[in-house]
This record gives sequence, C-alpha cells and structure tokens, in this order.
Amino acid sequence: MATAKNARHHVVIGSGVSGSQAADTLREREPDARVTILTLSSLLFYNRYDLPKVFRGHRDWREFLAYPAEYYKDHRIEVRRCSRVAGVDGPRRTITLEHKEEIRFDTLLVASGGRGYLPEELAEFRPLMHPFASYTEAVTAASLVPDRGHVIMLGGDMIGLDLARTLIDTRHRVTLVAGAQTFWPHEVSDEERPGLIAALEKMGVEVIESHDAGGIATIEQGAKGLSARRVLFKDGTELHGDVVMPFFGLSPSVEFMLGSGTDIERGLLVNPALRTTCEGIYAAGDVCQIWSDAEKRYRFFYGWKNVRAMGDLAARNITGGDEPWVPAQDEKLHIGSDGKIQSPFWEYH
Amino acid sequence: MATDIQISIIGSAGDGTIAAGDILRNAFAGMGYKVISFDVYPPEIRGFGKCIARMRITTEQAYSLKHKSDVMVSLDDSHAIPHAGELRDCGAMIYEQGSIVRLPEGGHMSAHVGPGQLPYPLPIRELSEKSTGANRSRNIVVLGFIAGLFNLPAEGFRKAIGKKFRSKAAAAEASEAAFKAGLDYAAKTFKLDDVVFGPPVSSVVAGSTVEMINGNAAIVRGALDAGIDTFFGYPITPATSIMERLASEMPKRGGRLLQTEDEISAISAVVGAGFTGARAATSTSGPGLSLMAEMLGMGVIGEVPSVVFVSQRGGPSTGMPTKTEQSDLHMAVYGGHGDAPRIVIAPTNVDGCYRCGGKAFEMAEAYQTPVIVLIDLYLSNRYETVVFPARPPFEADMNRKPGKQAAAAPYKRYALTADHVSPRSVPGEKGGMHVVTGLEHNELGRPNDSAELHTAMSRKRHEKLKAALRHPDFTHFKRFGDEGPVDVGLVAWGSTFGECLEAMLKARGEGIRCAAMKVVMLSPFPTHGVSAFLADCKEVLVPELNYEGQFANLLQANVARQVTRLARVPGEPMKVEEILEEIRRLAGRGKSAQKAA
Amino acid sequence: MGDIKPVYLEEKLKEIEESGRLDYRSKTLPTWCPGCGYFSIVEAVAASLCELNVPNENAVVVSGIGCSSRFPFFVNTYGMHTLHGRALPVATGVKTANDALTVVVVGGDGDGFAIGGGHVPHAARRNVDITYLLFDNGIYGLTKGQTSPTSAIGFRTPTSPYENPDRPLNPLLMVLSYGASWVGQAYAGRPDHLHKMITQAMAHRGFSYLHILSPCVTFDKTHRTYSNLGMQVRDLPADHEPTDRAAAMREAMDDALPALGLYFREERPTLGDALDGLVEKAGGELPGKPAAKPARKAARR
Ligand SMILES: Cc1cc2nc3c(=O)[nH]c(=O)nc-3n(C[C@H](O)[C@H](O)[C@H](O)COP(=O)(O)OP(=O)(O)OC[C@H]3O[C@@H](n4cnc5c(N)ncnc54)[C@H](O)[C@@H]3O)c2cc1C
Ligand SMILES: Cc1ncc(C[n+]2csc(CCOP(=O)(O)OP(=O)(O)O)c2C)c(N)n1
Ligand code: SF4
Ligand SMILES: [Mg+2]
Repeated sequence: MATAKNARHHVVIGSGVSGSQAADTLREREPDARVTILTLSSLLFYNRYDLPKVFRGHRDWREFLAYPAEYYKDHRIEVRRCSRVAGVDGPRRTITLEHKEEIRFDTLLVASGGRGYLPEELAEFRPLMHPFASYTEAVTAASLVPDRGHVIMLGGDMIGLDLARTLIDTRHRVTLVAGAQTFWPHEVSDEERPGLIAALEKMGVEVIESHDAGGIATIEQGAKGLSARRVLFKDGTELHGDVVMPFFGLSPSVEFMLGSGTDIERGLLVNPALRTTCEGIYAAGDVCQIWSDAEKRYRFFYGWKNVRAMGDLAARNITGGDEPWVPAQDEKLHIGSDGKIQSPFWEYH
Repeated sequence: MATDIQISIIGSAGDGTIAAGDILRNAFAGMGYKVISFDVYPPEIRGFGKCIARMRITTEQAYSLKHKSDVMVSLDDSHAIPHAGELRDCGAMIYEQGSIVRLPEGGHMSAHVGPGQLPYPLPIRELSEKSTGANRSRNIVVLGFIAGLFNLPAEGFRKAIGKKFRSKAAAAEASEAAFKAGLDYAAKTFKLDDVVFGPPVSSVVAGSTVEMINGNAAIVRGALDAGIDTFFGYPITPATSIMERLASEMPKRGGRLLQTEDEISAISAVVGAGFTGARAATSTSGPGLSLMAEMLGMGVIGEVPSVVFVSQRGGPSTGMPTKTEQSDLHMAVYGGHGDAPRIVIAPTNVDGCYRCGGKAFEMAEAYQTPVIVLIDLYLSNRYETVVFPARPPFEADMNRKPGKQAAAAPYKRYALTADHVSPRSVPGEKGGMHVVTGLEHNELGRPNDSAELHTAMSRKRHEKLKAALRHPDFTHFKRFGDEGPVDVGLVAWGSTFGECLEAMLKARGEGIRCAAMKVVMLSPFPTHGVSAFLADCKEVLVPELNYEGQFANLLQANVARQVTRLARVPGEPMKVEEILEEIRRLAGRGKSAQKAA
Repeated sequence: MGDIKPVYLEEKLKEIEESGRLDYRSKTLPTWCPGCGYFSIVEAVAASLCELNVPNENAVVVSGIGCSSRFPFFVNTYGMHTLHGRALPVATGVKTANDALTVVVVGGDGDGFAIGGGHVPHAARRNVDITYLLFDNGIYGLTKGQTSPTSAIGFRTPTSPYENPDRPLNPLLMVLSYGASWVGQAYAGRPDHLHKMITQAMAHRGFSYLHILSPCVTFDKTHRTYSNLGMQVRDLPADHEPTDRAAAMREAMDDALPALGLYFREERPTLGDALDGLVEKAGGELPGKPAAKPARKAARR
C-alpha cells in the first residue's frame, strides 16, 4: 500500500456503522494517510438493521455487505478482521492485539459499539440461548427455527422488537417475556407502557410480563421429539419454543480500554467534539458517552443515524475539525395513527 | 457439480507441511477425486526453510495447478504471508489465531488476508496441545478442520492418516486425537467461503486401478511393469526417489540394483548389462548426465540398449538443485561428442511418465540404442491420479533374439540391413560372439575407419531411429483444441505442456481459435506431424522453462518456421496466466483489446 | 638367463593346436609391436580359458582404451572394448546382468589407475566376481609413450621431457587395502608362471586382481625393459602366507624388487551373493539362472 512518508496512521477500532463511516471520511479528508480498521468481525461492514432479513430466507452474507471488497482496495482502507484489540496504551500510542501484535497509531478512534447485555440471573443459561447481534449469530438462530416455528424472546429491546415484526410477518410465532428493557433504549414511562404492550399484542406478539410469572426459574433443553427449549417460570408455568433469544439492550465494549489512559464510566467518556481524555484518542458510536452541556451529564445516543453521524464527526475532528456533536435523530417512541409502534430507529433510509 | 478446488499448505520444514499435504492428497484420491499436486521444498535439509504443499482436486483430471488457490493454510505466517495474494477472493484462509511471541506490526496473517478473502483463524497450537499434549500435531489439527469445514468424509482422512503412520502407533494415536480436535472445532465454526466439494466421479474401467503417484514413482512403475532387470545409479536431486523406490521394489521381483561410485560407473554398468541382455537403466539429473555423455556415445556406436531417466533441475553446474527447469534438452538430444543420435522422449504428465518409463525399454531394445526419458523436478514431484490398465501396456521382449545371421559365421553383429537394425546376440549365446567397441567398425564389429564404412555406419545409426517415430502404442505427439486453421498454436514439451493446455483451453473460452500440440518424442524429431500442425497456425507460441528456448531451437532446426518464444527461468512452473496473456497478444487481443471487448 | 633351449616353430604350433587353446584365439592378429609383453598375456589367457574349460560364449572380456585394451579383439569370446578407464564398471554391469558368465577385465596402468582409478576400490570392496588383469608397462603405450601413474620418478617422456617428478602409485598395495579377495603379481617375461597365475585368478570366486609387469618395447628403452625387469623380479618368499593380508601388504611395499606370486586370497560372498541376499530379504524370487552356470562350476572344482 503506497503511503506517503510522514503520512499519519489513523486506526479505527470497530467496523460497525460508526467505524466504517469514520474510515470513509478519514480517507476522503486525508488522502495520504494510512487508514486501518481493526475488527472482531469475520465479515466486512454490513448494516445490522438488515439482519432480520435472514428470517426471510436471505442467508448469503454477500447480500449484506455495505460495500464490496473492491471498495476497501480502491479506498486504501486496511480492514483487519478477526483481530481483537487486547489493550491500548494512550501515551505510547500503541495497540496490542490479542495475538500479541503491536500496532502504532497517530490517532485512534474507538468505535467498538456494544454487546448484548444479559442480566446476571440468566448468565448460567447463556449456552441455551441464541443472541442476534451479528450476521453469524443471526444465521445460526434462523437455521434452528423451522417454518412457522416458535421464537421466545426474553427482554425485548427495540432490536428484538424489530426482529419480532419480521417474524410475525413471516408467520412465525413470537412470545415475548417482557421486562424492564422491553423498549430499550427508549425511556418509557409506566403510563405509556400498557398502550405499547397492547400495540405489540395487536401486532401478533404473545406477551408474558415476566414479573407476573415471578421471573424465569430455568431454561432447559427440550425433551426428545419436543420443542428444543423450555422456559420455566417461578409460578410453575412453562413455555416451549424452538429458540430462546435474549434482548436486554447493549452494554458498551470498553474492557480493552481499561488502562489506556482514557476516562470510562459505562462507556468511553468524550467531550462534545468526541475527544476522550487522552490526546489523539476519540470515540464514536454505541461505545461512547458524550458530554451534554444542556443536561450536564455524559449520555449515550443510540440509533444508526446518530451513530453514523458520530463516526463522520469524529473523523472530521481527527483531521483538523473542531465541531460539537448535534444529535441526528430524535429518540421518541410512539404509536402511530394506524395503531402500530413507530420508532425513529426503525427508519432505515 | 464439477469440483475444481486447489489447496495450499504453507509452513516451514519442521511443521509437517509436506506430510499434511501428502495425507490430504491421498485422502482425496481415496475418495475418488482426481488430484494434481506439486510441492515446494526448501533447499536446506532441515531447519526452517519454506515448504508448500499444493494440490488441485477435480472431477476430471486437471493439467496444471491453478494460479490461485481456493483454500490456503498457514502453518507458519512468516512463510505464508508472502503468498497470501495467491488465495482467490471468497477463498478460505486458515491460520493460527494466537501467537506465543510478540509480533511486529504485520507479523500475523490477519494483517494480510485481503478484503475479498475469508479469514478462518483457529487456535491450532492450543488444539494440538490439548488433544495430544504436544504441538507436533498442528498439521493434523488443520486436516481435521479442513475435513469439517468442507464437510468431507472423515473416514477418507482417517484412512490416509492411518496409512501415513502405519508403523508408528504413538504417532497414529496422537494424530487421531488431533484430527478430531480440528474436526470438532470446525463444527463450531461458521462457514463463510464458497468452497464446495461436489461428489467425486469414478471413471475407472473394470480391472484397472487408480493411484495417486508422482512422476518419479510413475517412472518406477513403468520400469517395473516393463520388467527392468538391473539398475545402477548415483543419488542426485530430483531423481533420487526413482532409485530409492526401485531399491525397495526390484529385489521383490528378483531384480538387482547397485549404488555405484559415480554416474560414469552407473551408465557404464548399464551399458554392460544392456550388452548382456538385461533391461537396464539408471537415473540422474543434469550434472550426472554431463558425466554420462561419453558412455552414452559408446552406447550409440556400440548399439547397446540402455535407458537413462533424467530429471532436470536448475543449471548450469550445481545450479538450483531444488528448482525446476527444462534446460538440459540440448544436452539430452545433442550432448556428447561425435554424431551420436539417440532417442529422447519427454512425457508431459504423470501418466506419461508411466508410459515412457516402460516404453523406453521397448525402444532401447527395438532400436538398439540409448533412450533418455527426460522429465524435470516439477514432473518428478508432481502428483496426479493415474489410471493403470489391468495389463501393463509393454512388450516383454523386443528384438533380443539373435537374428538369422546367427547361423552364418562369423557373426555379423552390425550387419547392414534394410531397416538398419542388426541381429543381436548376448553373451551365453553360441555362435553370436562379437566384440562391442567404441571404435568405428565394420559389420563384424572389427575396428575399421574407412570413409565408406564410417558413412554407412553413421547412416545406419541415424536411419534406424526413424522407425521409432512409428513405435507402436506410443503417443509421439498430440494435438489438442480446435481442429483446422487456428490463430494461435502452442507447441510445448515436458511438464510445461500442462500449463499450455490449460492456457489454450482458457483462450478458447475467450473465443480465440487456438490449439496446442505436445511433442513427446524429441529425438528423432517428429518433423512431419509437427510441421503439419504448424501449417495450421497463424502464430506459433513455444513456452518452456529455459533461458533461450532450447525446444524452439530444436523445432526450428527441424521445421523452418517463425515462432514466438516464451522462455522463462523462474525455477518453478510457468504461470498459466502468463501463457494466456501471450496467446491473447498473438491473437490481437491484448489486455486493452480485452477490456474494450 | 640360464641355458637357452632351441624352439622349433613347427613343433610349437603343433603343440598349441592340439592343446585347444587356439579355439580361444580370434582370427584377428594382435596389432601390438613385435616383442611387446602383451603377446604372452593373450597366450596365457587363452590357455587358462581352455584349461578351465569355459565355453567361449560364456566368457566376456571387457577392456578400456589403450594398447592393452585392444585385447578383446584377439580372443574368441564375447567382448567389450569400452572407454578409457571404464572397463570395471562396464564389467560390473555384465556380471550383475548374468552371474553365470566368466568375466575378465583387461587394461593398462593409465586406464586402471589414472582415469579409471575411482572405480577400482569399488569393484574390489564389492567383490564383484570378475578377474582384473592389469597390464603395467609404466607408460601410455597407445598415445605413444607418455608418463603414466606407475612411471618411475625421473622417467623421461614427451610429457615429462626433463623428468617425471611424481612418485609412482603402488597398485598392489592399493588393491590389497581396497579389500580385493585375490591379489597376485606376474611378469610377462615368465609366461608359464603368468599362465598359472591367470588360471588361479580366474578360478577364484570373487574379485581377483593380477598385476602383470610388461615391457613396452617401443617407448621405454630405459626403465621397464626385459633385461631390467628380468634382473629385478623375485618370487614371493616360500613361507608367505596368502591368507594374511598384512603380510601381503608388507611384501607389496617392497616395490623396488617386485615379488611375483599370490599375495592374498580369501573366500567371501561376492556382489552377486549379496544381491541374491537382498532378493531373499525382500521376499522376492531369484530368476532362473541361464544354463551356463554348471559348466563353469565344473571347470572350477
Ligand atoms: C441485530 C441488531 C439490529 C439493530 N437494528 C437497529 C435498527 O434497526 N435501527 C437502529 O437505529 N439501530 C439498530 N441497531 C443498533 C445499531 O446498529 C447500533 O447502534 C450500531 O450498530 C452501533 O454501531 P457502532 O459502530 O457503534 O458499533 P457496532 O456496530 O456494534 O460495531 C462494533 C465494532 O467493534 C468491533 N469491536 C468490538 N470490540 C472489539 C475489540 N476488542 N477489538 C476489535 N474490534 C472490536 C466489533 O467487531 C464491531 O465491528 C441494531 C443493532 C443490532 C445488533
Ligand atoms: C577420455 C580419454 N582421454 C584420453 C584418451 C587417450 N588415451 C587413449 S589410451 C591412453 C593411455 C593408455 O595407457 P595405458 O592405459 O597405460 O594403456 P597402454 O596403452 O599402456 O596399454 C590415453 C591417454 C582417451 N582415449 N580417452
Ligand atoms: S606401444 Fe608399447 S605397449 Fe603398445 S603395443 Fe607397442 S610395445 Fe606394446
Ligand atoms: Mg600402460
């Protein structure tokens, strides 16, 4: 890769929507620079909101890619897949990958997003559940659900509910074991909640309020010849389904940044220009908490439009800009005139 | 669905790279696929030199390796990284996910998997250590992973592994555990690549057998099937394995093999044994052939049947002993002093090695002369699946009996006859006594250097070989591709013909009228057949692995015709793409023309 | 020289004819210079083949290049007149191809110990069952008198016009150390002894080496002449024990006064035996031997 001498090396951790947008902007604004993306993913960037399509029979990963392989070659963006960052040393400007390779950077953008949160009491059942955060997870789950099969959703955040819409549409049966995170990341008041639940039921989702059933007692492998999974509630009732999928919102992936010299609360703390407390290191996307002057606190902004805008802004600020963050989409959840739930996160284009 | 998948395993000498390749190609051959395979070895004996095991697995027998592999395995990133670009898009890159030492930036395969390729990192070392307690079985872990990832019958792998470790119980046990570890890991791995093995197609005629062997082994099998009696040789890469294999096989059939003190001794003994009536042969490479030149001339003038298997390597002098080249053609055909015509045949594939390996003995006897079977390192070490006929296609005895002359005394060993081949007796036969001499001689074999006799005997030695051009049951040359007039005709010999054939077929696929001729008999030269072909070609392309174009020289010495030479000395097989590009250029379809079209 | 008995040609010819030796001589007359020591060698070889009753067609005489190497044309057997220095490996091939043959290798000192010197150790150590007759005239006869590896220091020839600076080789010592199983020396000027030695050498089962001192009357007028040699040669001591290789080597080292006779003899497996052993080890079957073998065995006793 022909890189001009003295050209800077911009490294981006994460090939999600914010990291990928940032790399694109970095390349555009600094044609000589070296741009490297590090990612856990084995695939090039794809939009996660497309994933429910796997239940419509779309199983070929090529269909999901946002850009073809040539894009990366043409734009001289190195994408290092299956590469987990193990640690970052801010002052020394080095990244250590899990396989002990060290990478020098001039600037670093952390866009490592978040991973599915799982309440502690369910942790022991993790092997019996099927998450839905990546293409491979989505295909694995979909391959286990037969035609008109039964999906049990635990929690039910907006990602899960979006999937539920597709499942109902494709004539699957969906049972939602609702709880505190059902409308995550929307903040929903006690007054709004019954209406929203009713709207879900109208949509065709069977809803069980988990607190009514006393919470989940165990999840078990179904007996031979029966459904694959059994969910037992404390009140003695049972639920049988083909898969159990947890949806409890996301928690930021920051563990590798501990000891990097940046401040962390739940996410990476950044100022409105998306700069962390460490020189040359920025953050964008689901991983960061941005200082809000209005609210006088660090807060998360979710939704793919926001996240993409963050990646773009961080890249512009890395390459000489100094603009503050302005949210790109509002976060209101409501029921439309047709009686259906409407979320800005569900508007893709 | 037709299968056409190429797998490369790259590692250092200590990684078991070649062993893994060996097991893998045996497994595929056992499943009924056709295999063509050519490994790359380091020049060093031990240590950390680069090894590459490469194989192409197909439904129908392929002619060459592909430029790009569909699956690449790295057992050592430092060796494999420079080759990462040889994996095609959507191909699978299998490599060690971890590292026990700190790596500089770019020191791990993950830095080199192209955006179009698909990464399959796995904890190879850890799986080996956990399953066997040692990291020695990393290569077998990878085999298990391949079996699982591509959904191949594990039984086929287990059989091949069992064969490899037949006599080593501990290694066999460890391998089984390591294989399973890889297999299980694959079961948990999400498959992204588009590498799919279709069912193998068996095309075996009843009675015949299919075996996957390399060129040297095929030569050995040909020699054995033709009833070789004695062998004399001196080790030299890449011919050594011919001798080694014969050393274990010949005694089983009552044959005799001797490691001589040098190549001069080897060829001398072959001539001695040939004179005595045995089917005798030696094997060597360029340096040994140089030493044999004088005695080969003796074989020519003494009209003694003798067979020399020559596997070329890079030259001159000690040259590049572990690299392939086709630069001994001039020496094979013309080498030595005096007018010393001999038969030189050069098979183009492993099946041909078998046939030439046996036919050489027939020809040596039928025309009473040395026969050189000329191959190269590429063909020596290239594995292909070969169908062996139920009955060996070789005559047991060609013209070894004393002729009618036997009755008349004195015995005219060098009688001038209509077909220029004289009666021949061997020691032990009454009434046939004669002296074979390196001096020019008369019909009785007595020294005589008159102008008339030297002319008559020279004519005899040259003319008798013409009959070899009609030797029964032998492919002297063969045309492939389009019939009738063509825009581009390729003429090639030896191992390179596979690449030529592949390139020609691709060119036809692009709509270029194209044909290719392989020339197996290099001396005497089949001028008629070749010139008939050339008359059909608007342009003639001669690809070969030497600097100047030795075969093109030979061709032009026999047929007056302009040709385009594609002579290269990379030390490895020519690239199909390079030949194809030249065909396009000659057909007026350069790269630019191609894009515009 | 002792008393000289007259020899009448007619008588001699009659005696020769009756002996049957002539059957082993070809019609071709030797091309050697009159007086050359080689004449008595060809006579002796014919006599030995006759004595051992070897069927002509079962004998193969193999030579290299040199005056001496013309030999095969002068005997009535199968023959190979090969390349300079290559007779031994060719003969090894002949013998390997057919154990039943009686194989005799002949050649000069240059042929055997200059250009072909690399082959001698191997034929000897393998114990190839052949007889090697080395005609040592200390000169390159065929190429007209140049220095050879057995020429004496100080010898003058066209290629060493001032003098030969090189020490001569001691072929007997070499061959003894190479492990030859039969080693002897004879002199062309003592035809009867020569004949006896050749017969013994040919009857030996294994590699037999007979060093034959022979004058080149044309190109050596000073060193290895009949008169000089006649003065120098001696017999091996009567108590020499031919099974003692070390004693043989001690005798061989005394090359100022060459000793004639049998230096060393041992019985050990031949190359053919070893190769048959390999066939057995490999579980193979020995091919049927040509019929010639018994005749030869009978001749040996
Ligand atoms: C299934 C699903 C459906 C969704 N649907 C919608 C929707 O419909 N509408 C909407 O608005 N939002 C949706 N979202 C949420 C939205 O996609 C996220 O806000 C967005 O993906 C966040 O993007 P990001 O770039 O910050 O992080 P991510 O997209 O989460 O990407 C994180 C990247 O960081 C990498 N990474 C993490 N840790 C490491 C490490 N240690 N080393 C190296 N790389 C690392 C990961 O491999 C990944 O490439 C959905 C999310 C999911 C999972
Ligand atoms: C390769 C080769 N080099 C040189 C010669 C020439 N040449 C023929 S005979 C001979 C030497 C013969 O001497 P010797 O072997 O002692 O036999 P002699 O004639 O003395 O019996 C030489 C040098 C040759 N024939 N071949
Ligand atoms: S030149 Fe010498 S060795 Fe040769 S034949 Fe004449 S005398 Fe004998
Ligand atoms: Mg001499």
